[in-house]
Amino acid sequence: MRYIFISLIAILMLASSSFASYREAFEKEFLFKSWGGEETEVNACIDCHSSDIMKKEFQNVTQAWKKSWHYQNSVLCDDCHGGDSKDATMSMSHQRGFIGTPKYTEVPEFCGKCHIGILRNYLESGHGKALQTTGKGPNCVTCHDSHNIQKANIEIINEGRCTKCHTYERAKIMKQALFATENKIRDIDKELENLKAEGIYVGNEKRELFSTQAEFRALFHTIDADLVIQRTDDFTQKLNIIDTKINNSFTELNFRKNFSAFLTLIFVGLSIVVLMFSKTYKD
Amino acid sequence: MNRRSFLKSLAFILGSTVAASLSYPIVKFLAPQQNKTRDGKISIKKSDVPLGEGREIVLGGIPAIVINVKGAGYIALSRVCTHLGCLVEYDKNTNRFICPCHAGTFNVEGNVISGPPPKPLEKLPLNVQGDNIIIG
Amino acid sequence: MWQKIKDGFEERAGLQSLIRTKLKDYKVPGGINIFYTLGIVAVIAYVIQALTGYFLLIYYIPHPDHAFKSVQDIMNVAPFGWLPRTLHIVVSNLMVIVIILHLISIFVMLSYKKPRELTWIAGVCLFFITLVFCLSGYLLPWSQRSFWATTIVTNIPTAFPVIGDYVANILRGGDNISGATLSRFFALHVAFLPPIFLLITGFHMFLVRRLELSTPPFSTSAEKSPERYPFYPHFFLKQVFMIMVFFSLVFFMITFMPTFFLPEAANTPADPLKTPFNIKPEWYFLAPYQLFKIIPNKFFGISLQVLLALIFLLWPYLDTKEEKNILKRPLLIIFFILALTVWFSLTLWGRHS
Repeated sequence: MRYIFISLIAILMLASSSFASYREAFEKEFLFKSWGGEETEVNACIDCHSSDIMKKEFQNVTQAWKKSWHYQNSVLCDDCHGGDSKDATMSMSHQRGFIGTPKYTEVPEFCGKCHIGILRNYLESGHGKALQTTGKGPNCVTCHDSHNIQKANIEIINEGRCTKCHTYERAKIMKQALFATENKIRDIDKELENLKAEGIYVGNEKRELFSTQAEFRALFHTIDADLVIQRTDDFTQKLNIIDTKINNSFTELNFRKNFSAFLTLIFVGLSIVVLMFSKTYKD
Repeated sequence: MNRRSFLKSLAFILGSTVAASLSYPIVKFLAPQQNKTRDGKISIKKSDVPLGEGREIVLGGIPAIVINVKGAGYIALSRVCTHLGCLVEYDKNTNRFICPCHAGTFNVEGNVISGPPPKPLEKLPLNVQGDNIIIG
Repeated sequence: MWQKIKDGFEERAGLQSLIRTKLKDYKVPGGINIFYTLGIVAVIAYVIQALTGYFLLIYYIPHPDHAFKSVQDIMNVAPFGWLPRTLHIVVSNLMVIVIILHLISIFVMLSYKKPRELTWIAGVCLFFITLVFCLSGYLLPWSQRSFWATTIVTNIPTAFPVIGDYVANILRGGDNISGATLSRFFALHVAFLPPIFLLITGFHMFLVRRLELSTPPFSTSAEKSPERYPFYPHFFLKQVFMIMVFFSLVFFMITFMPTFFLPEAANTPADPLKTPFNIKPEWYFLAPYQLFKIIPNKFFGISLQVLLALIFLLWPYLDTKEEKNILKRPLLIIFFILALTVWFSLTLWGRHS
């Protein structure tokens, strides 16, 4: 019987060595096969712009983008600049909508293609009007950088940045108006991460937080501290609802822990009792 | 009492604690959630319910009907037969509601004329405001 | 009054003599250790899975658009829904561990020797069926881990030439994991496998009872006095004790580490367009998966695994020496320790690769 098995192994080893293929082929064919239309890494823009024939500034662009929040959310070169990222010959073609680098005054419209509400608020603000009338003033890139765009946070408003054209006083008033709400947003975000670590799925609450926070921050772009203060109550209310939900979840988790701890103790007690009981039968 | 019977009763007590603390969750798990109070109003136009006709609506998950009766005006009734829950049909010619399951018959006010239903059809609050009829 | 009911029942069902012969007169060898109780613990674990499974079945929706949400609703909306779900997860993993321990103790005590070869075969089949239960089960929540771990596993048969793709398509119900896969895995998990498992368990237990428990080969007390104790209450109480210990362990894990078996990928809804980084199958599949990865030739890799499984299944017919004491078989000890070490290191390697 065992000899059958040994001979089977020998035959299989011989047979399979004739099918010899290499580890890379295995990995490529099997482990890294793209499933169901998964995005492929083919990006003609990145391929050229990160290569050594490019100017240093262009190479830095791709590196900066890879560190950004846009990259994390799969916002690619052609989403902003147009062109075709899948086809190197048409990657910078005007036929595919390529618009290149926007001029300084065109930057708000460039970013406003997606960030529509913010563009509207910005154009009505002091900053936006200054840019439109004089051609000077802060545009999106001034505060948020062009390619290494990070998640917005209150520290973008700081003395170094905001004193280029005026005193810091005005910026400080705005920062104070935003402060409490931003803190609450940050705390809720942390609590959601804690909940997630405990195993609760927080996708819906995260989405609610994100949309509340996005609305709030869009409001900032009006540079109208009074408006922000006026609307703060609304936002605080929405945030409080999320907060209550989070607290309820923590209470529930606590109850579950107590309930199962209680049952654990009872079962431990039962094991001891049964053990002692069985010992009374040792004849 | 010797050790054996003491341990036996102790095991029994612990065992029943486990059974009790597991049966409560089971019952709660299987019991249906409390129904929310019937809310929502439905508004339809007078022209939707001509004289002698009826218009079926759904109010808060309950199938209902609004009829326009000569001499009695607009009446809104639940279509759920009070016998065993089938939905009644409105017969314009005889001005009756008839239940297809066991032939229970109701008049336009919802009162039982014949058949097994024990209670009249539930009346729903109805308000006429201008051109609109508001039920609920 | 109660006595009358008992007497009436006894007249009609005649259970007393059965209880006497099957439970009280039935004797088990003296000196049997606690490992002998692992079998019944595995059966109890299966019963818990079936019971919690029924409760989960009430609220679960086996459709890709609703599966994840229905599981979240079980956890957060249904009153005490978290209890059957967490129990189901923890017990499924612990059941695999109990079965592995049971297999190890049977192997070490050489209890698979004649006439118990069929018992071993039935047992290994049960082990494989348990693994299929686990595999079909963890697709059902339709999380990232479910989707991608199942994608990997159902692609393994493609290594077979000629029939490989066909087999994989039957498993998946198509070219990719989809709703069709979910439906067939659900039917497998809930309707097809349970009766098969029960049948084979019934056969296994029938054989165990028929052939009586094997005497532990190296307990000195057995050699000196071949004493035998009645099954009830001696061994029965040992079994109850072990079951209580099992429950304590289960609830301990639920209290202090409820997310031990739920990595983050298991709590994110499935996204067919995004493979999470470093996806791995469940721990019990890590060793075969790692072995598969390191062998460069796919076909050889899969045939080796099939061969190893066959050797494992038919082992009593490969090891025909009649010696029942493993201490007198140093080669076998070495082989066994080697096999365990290899399996363990492959698992660890797979975990950290």
